[in-house]
Amino acid sequence: MIRHLFKLIWNRKKSNFLLITEIFFCFLVLFGVLSFIVYNVRNYTKPLGFEHDNVWLLTMRPSTDSSALNHQNLEQVLQLVRTFPEVQQASLTSSNAPFAFSQMNNNLSYGNVKDVMADFYEVEDDFKEVMQLQVREGRWFGMQDNASHHAPIVINKALKQQLFGEEDALGKLIPVNDSTNYQVVGITEHFRAGSEFAADEPAFFTRLNLPRSPNSFWSEVLIRVKPGTGIAFEEKMVKQVAGIGKGWALEVTTLEKMRQNKAKLTMIPMIALGLVCAFLILNVALGLFGVLWYNINSRHGEIGLRRALGAASGQIYRQFIGEVLVLATFGLLLGVMFAVQLPLLQVFDVESIVYTVAILGAVVVIYLLTIVCAFYPSRQAAAIHPAIALHED
Amino acid sequence: MITLSNIEKVYQTKTIETVALQNVNLHIPKGEFVSVMGPSGCGKSTLLNIMGLLDEPTSGLVEIDGTPISKYKDKELAHIRNQKLGFVFQSYHLINDLSVLDNVELPLLYRRGASAAETRKLAMTALEKVGLSARTKHFPAQLSGGQRQRVAIARALIGQPEVILADEPTGNLDSVMGEEIMNILLHLNQQDGTTIVMVTHDENMAHKTERLIRFFDGQQVSDARTAAFNFQQV
Ligand SMILES: Nc1ncnc2c1ncn2[C@@H]1O[C@H](COP(=O)(O)OP(=O)(O)OP(=O)(O)O)[C@@H](O)[C@H]1O
Ligand SMILES: [Mg+2]
Repeated sequence: MIRHLFKLIWNRKKSNFLLITEIFFCFLVLFGVLSFIVYNVRNYTKPLGFEHDNVWLLTMRPSTDSSALNHQNLEQVLQLVRTFPEVQQASLTSSNAPFAFSQMNNNLSYGNVKDVMADFYEVEDDFKEVMQLQVREGRWFGMQDNASHHAPIVINKALKQQLFGEEDALGKLIPVNDSTNYQVVGITEHFRAGSEFAADEPAFFTRLNLPRSPNSFWSEVLIRVKPGTGIAFEEKMVKQVAGIGKGWALEVTTLEKMRQNKAKLTMIPMIALGLVCAFLILNVALGLFGVLWYNINSRHGEIGLRRALGAASGQIYRQFIGEVLVLATFGLLLGVMFAVQLPLLQVFDVESIVYTVAILGAVVVIYLLTIVCAFYPSRQAAAIHPAIALHED
Repeated sequence: MITLSNIEKVYQTKTIETVALQNVNLHIPKGEFVSVMGPSGCGKSTLLNIMGLLDEPTSGLVEIDGTPISKYKDKELAHIRNQKLGFVFQSYHLINDLSVLDNVELPLLYRRGASAAETRKLAMTALEKVGLSARTKHFPAQLSGGQRQRVAIARALIGQPEVILADEPTGNLDSVMGEEIMNILLHLNQQDGTTIVMVTHDENMAHKTERLIRFFDGQQVSDARTAAFNFQQV
């Protein structure tokens, strides 16, 4: 029967061409959207590598250009913040705090591995406690780094993999320019600070040493507060900080709020694409239904003949469902041939598993769609009385 | 083989009611070659459809080998059509998107346990019988009317049915071609003992069969042995 169906469809390829094309394009769009969604969902399920609950971000914009004064005030502000009983730890950070709309990156090379693009974060020693990072190898920054000859860095697992592979990374020197080197002192687990939907990209931390950086200023402090600390403390803190930095513009927000904002950036297009895709599927379904309905209705003679030759009504039903599945298979084969080019040619830096899941998902959806669309017309076809069907020709 | 008792068939449409058959009583014994004649619209095709289990009478009893067909479910009727009956239709009814060979194989597609190779062989044999073994890869559109009808006959033969129901098998053909088709049917009847019911408009053809039933306006008007029968008896 299957062979018979393939033959039938193949011989009718001209009239089935449109249907196959429709299924093909539907597959491609579905595949694209599913890849996007699977990619994001997959990232979402990976650990962030840090804890953002109860972490606040204090942003300070000084009103004067006097860097010496600003630096002095900043040291006082940090001292003040750290003395509040509500505050557990606080750390200055470069402007690309977790979930911030800001990015910094740098190319690192080691040995034969050239130009690995990595996000870098300039943070104080307390950052590890504030963000509750997990250091899997080596150590985090500490006082001993004050005396070190090279600039210490802590790298994440992804960067370690790309730069060093299976090789041991601890203690290795990474040239920055002619006179300085980074020295790897530790390796953390994941660090996906961009957003919950961000991929697990290479990242590293450099050590921010405020006392050793006169005339420098960092405008953002990450503060881990005790659970349950609320708006009252925020007001108190802002008021006291304002007492030190006269005329500074101060702003406090929680990482939770920043997380939500950042998530919207991915969620909105994902939902929009999903909706567009749903409409497309609905359209294709209606089109498919119409074409199938027409096809089957113009084949009453054939149906009657088959019934006369001994096909039971259930066999007619299965034949038409089968035909649609074969048609879908042709369209899908074409589609899959295109789709597998993406992982094969590595067009995007996306793991193959994402494409595999998207292909399988799109295949299943399209098969279901065609079965649903073929269901009613096929039922009708199966219900046709053989004598009437033969009469119509 | 086939028995019809008090058959009535009424086609009911919204505006009109057509009585296609009325008070038909027939018995077709095994091995008989029967022809049915009558003017257009007198119900010949309707009769064949009822005999072939493609249609149900409005009232009356249809028996196949002594069993009323009302006892059978759709699936069983399909099985009987497949096993016992072979159809040749007035307008061929070939599937245009299938090759000659595939068309001929169709009945075996609905038969359990027929292997592809076996089916192919049987189809070739059937096509040989109708003299079309050189046209197996052709499509119906590439054949003449006579050739199409021969494909249809080959398709009716392949399952080796006990009964062939042929609705004007020579209707669209010239006399030479008609003669050829008729010979095939006669051969089947005489050599294989196939029961044949053939509708025809051609008196000559009808007189080659053993029994001639005439219809007029949905009713049997005569049912008689032909000269050919008498000839065979002697
Ligand atoms: N499906 C149907 N619906 C309504 N009326 C029908 C239907 N099929 C046949 N009829 C009517 O029944 C009558 C008998 O039709 P049938 O096809 O049996 O005639 P026929 O003897 O085969 O004619 P012909 O020699 O032209 O083929 C006709 O009057 C026809 O109009
Ligand atoms: Mg007729």
